[in-house]
Amino acid sequence: MSNKVNIVLTALLVACGLSAVNAQYQSRHLFVDKERAEAQARQLDTEWAQLQLDQSTLGKHARIEEIARRELNMTQLTPNRTQYLTEGEK
Amino acid sequence: MRSSGGTGTARVARSQGVAFSKSPVLAVRLPSWRSRVVLFGMFIAFGALAARAVWLQGTSSQQQFLQKEGANRYQRTQELPAVRGKITDRNGQVLASSIPVRAIWAAPEEVLAAPKEKIRALAGLLEMSEAELRKKLDSDRNLVYLKRQVEVETADKIKALDLDGMDIRPEYKRFYPQGEVMTHLVGFTNVDDKGQESMELAQQANLVGRPGSRRVIKDGRGHIVEDIGGKIEPHNGKDVVLSVDSKIQYIAYTQLKQAVEHFGAKAGGAVVLDVHTGEVLALANYPSYDPNDRRNLTGAQLRNRVMTDSFEPGSTLKPITVALALDSGRVKPNTLIDTGNGRLQILDRPISDTKAHGVISVAQIIEMSSNIGTSKIALSMPSQEMWEMFTKVGFGQQPKWGFPGAVAGRVRPYKSWRPIEQATMSYGNGISVSLIQLARSYMMFARNGDTIPLSFEKVDKEPLGQQIIKPQTAAQMREMLESVVSGKDGTAKKAQIPGYRVGGKTGTAYKVENGRYAMPRKYIGSFVGMVPMSAPRFIIAVMIDEPTQNGHFGGSVAAPTFAAVAINALRASNVPPDSNVTEIVVPADTGPEAM
Repeated sequence: MSNKVNIVLTALLVACGLSAVNAQYQSRHLFVDKERAEAQARQLDTEWAQLQLDQSTLGKHARIEEIARRELNMTQLTPNRTQYLTEGEK
Repeated sequence: MRSSGGTGTARVARSQGVAFSKSPVLAVRLPSWRSRVVLFGMFIAFGALAARAVWLQGTSSQQQFLQKEGANRYQRTQELPAVRGKITDRNGQVLASSIPVRAIWAAPEEVLAAPKEKIRALAGLLEMSEAELRKKLDSDRNLVYLKRQVEVETADKIKALDLDGMDIRPEYKRFYPQGEVMTHLVGFTNVDDKGQESMELAQQANLVGRPGSRRVIKDGRGHIVEDIGGKIEPHNGKDVVLSVDSKIQYIAYTQLKQAVEHFGAKAGGAVVLDVHTGEVLALANYPSYDPNDRRNLTGAQLRNRVMTDSFEPGSTLKPITVALALDSGRVKPNTLIDTGNGRLQILDRPISDTKAHGVISVAQIIEMSSNIGTSKIALSMPSQEMWEMFTKVGFGQQPKWGFPGAVAGRVRPYKSWRPIEQATMSYGNGISVSLIQLARSYMMFARNGDTIPLSFEKVDKEPLGQQIIKPQTAAQMREMLESVVSGKDGTAKKAQIPGYRVGGKTGTAYKVENGRYAMPRKYIGSFVGMVPMSAPRFIIAVMIDEPTQNGHFGGSVAAPTFAAVAINALRASNVPPDSNVTEIVVPADTGPEAM
């Protein structure tokens, strides 16, 4: 009788041990995934900051004006050749 | 032994049939106590080990040290870096941003032990000569800086060299994409990410990030396998949104630069204020510098003239004196005042106009900028009232707009004023203000007689104003200021812009050097104006310091700069025109104003 109880208990013990090992294994896996995701988030943040910076650098008004004048032959508009539309007026 | 001999036989005595090992003959007879002694000895040894373990782990004074050392074999404290906040303009365009870079450290002894070609390669990557590198490594310290703010790609290449004793640490570098255009407003940080100038300095507490840390377990290959608590969250710095509009700022800067070069001036400043919110939309200084490359920085470039320099404003101050007289009911815009032949003696000190204006109205005094007229009005008022007026509009008061280094200007206490000083002060001599203070003082004309605090950060709702003059006085003043620009005798015809009504006042002042007026005369030409007059939206102030060619009066150097800034700013902000005049031919000679 007591022999049978012992066998059951041993089996339970082994099962518990294995599940603990498995849980630890899973948690490490998840942790690594989380680390990777966080690193990626940081990387994306950095990239975003870099892109914002690029946008600001490339969108510099001095550069836009230069290109507009030189390459696109654009000139500044003046009020005497501007038609203003006013809402509700004929 | 009684072996029967013969090859190939088993090692068993055939005759007895007894196993060899059990042969009683071979049995060793030892006293039984010997094994006991050994057993006991081993027990004692194990006992000693156990006792030592208990001692070290439980009770010893070294317990904590040992535990820490043990933990250090697998635990590490990991730094969690925090980024300094960005600075953006009112439309979200980035003006300052931090990008990760690397700092390269090295342990001299270990690095110097490396093969020669590797050291040469390292020097190449660090952009220094081998001799320079060796000089840096010639140190007694454990770790020396080789180079800071190295780009990540370069740092990765250095890592790939696989030199012993290299330590590559992350840090941040601040970039300013708008460069010299915005630098006097944004400022810059030093290599340790601390704000040094302007908003970077003023907003240091907000911008700075707080790095965190955590304890982790690392495996044999250096990978983090577990987080074991004790985490201090890193806090990134807050982003700061400035009031500046980068479009208007660019306009102000380029026009100012052109003007300073055209008039051969030493320097110049311009500021654009939003009339409704008190926001500073642009603040430009020339000469300027590129904050990304500050190697050959001079004091003149660094100087923020708009904020930190005070000067005698000259005639731009007249409207304030006249507004006080109007507001207190002493004069009306059409009150006639005799300015005589353009010469006036006050206690044997002469005051003069550029020409004889004769009997003119108060409105014309402003239009033609008569020193004598303004002096006569001023002398009819108690000095205390004038002083109070100056103080109310902020002259001589330390500005509280959160901008480092902003000056208060100088207004002497009224009790020490002599009549001649009261007279000259009425037209802006013997008093000093900064350009931004001057611009702000016109706030009461542009608004309905009240003034609001200025802000360098974006404002969501209109701030509460402080009433200084009556609304009708402000309206009368606006009319006069418009006549300065569009009137037939106005001194600022060059401030006219097609499609919009403009109002403002010119000023030309002699520069004071070492407490007296500089000889030969040096001038500061200034103009403060507002557009569009039907519902003022911007106040724009321009100051040109020491113009040497093409004129020196405020009306000829500052007014056209004002006009160029105003027309572009109005267009950039989609302000509808309020005048039918679409083409303006400015007469070549607009006539000088008095100083």
